[in-house]
Amino acid sequence: MAKGSERVAAGRRNFLKLAGVSAVTGTAAVAAGSVAAEAAEPVEGAAGYQETEHVKTYYKLAAF
Amino acid sequence: MGEARLALSVSEEDVLRANLYRLLASSLCAGPSRRDLDVFADMHGDDTPIGQAVSAITRVAAKTSPEEVSREYHDLFIGVGRGELVPYGSYYLTGFLHEKPLARLRNDMSRLGIERSGDVSEPEDHIAALCEMMAGLIVGDFGEALDLDEQKRFFQAHIGSWAKHFFTDLEGARSSVFYACIGQLGAAFMDVEDQAFLMV
Repeated sequence: MAKGSERVAAGRRNFLKLAGVSAVTGTAAVAAGSVAAEAAEPVEGAAGYQETEHVKTYYKLAAF
Repeated sequence: MGEARLALSVSEEDVLRANLYRLLASSLCAGPSRRDLDVFADMHGDDTPIGQAVSAITRVAAKTSPEEVSREYHDLFIGVGRGELVPYGSYYLTGFLHEKPLARLRNDMSRLGIERSGDVSEPEDHIAALCEMMAGLIVGDFGEALDLDEQKRFFQAHIGSWAKHFFTDLEGARSSVFYACIGQLGAAFMDVEDQAFLMV
């Protein structure tokens, strides 16, 4: 990383710290957990049609 | 969860940003549980706008019950026919659900390797889903943690354009008590995110 962008990143981190982003730490963050999104998991190495979660959801919804 | 896979390159401030996004996501996805409220009641805010909002959440969380908050959630977002607010990007930007902003989001999601969880039927541009995606992109829940340029692009394309309006509406909504504080926190945090991304 170039010197200039390092300085910019440090300035930004400093700004965030002063802005109070540290209010939510530890347990509150853990309680927040994961809700609705997940990583797509395509089958390694397979090309073409893949029945991912997204596709399964589509089938489920399309079937009414 | 993200913690275990946390990349070394994610700075402390960025982890804290992800925490704020997660708090917003979990509160806006459904009413918080007894356990969530207990944890919220134990937070400590400083005198920044974000800190003041956190203190407000802390005070309300200590006094309210999961039943009350869940009734409030229902009145705000579900209602009879429709809730007081419609928490979708497409609705805020165009006045309709399932419009172009949702299509653009879906494109970016597939590019970034994110998909809607199988048991969720709401469109992906729900504020809670967007906050969760943002948290995941910051710490690398969906693969590599996104660099700041990419985070900025995602934020400005899908969140920055409307989330502040939504959180301000939430703060002022008729049915809001606990959620007024969540709105206050969201609005303050969106201001900070906006300004911090200008430094990238």
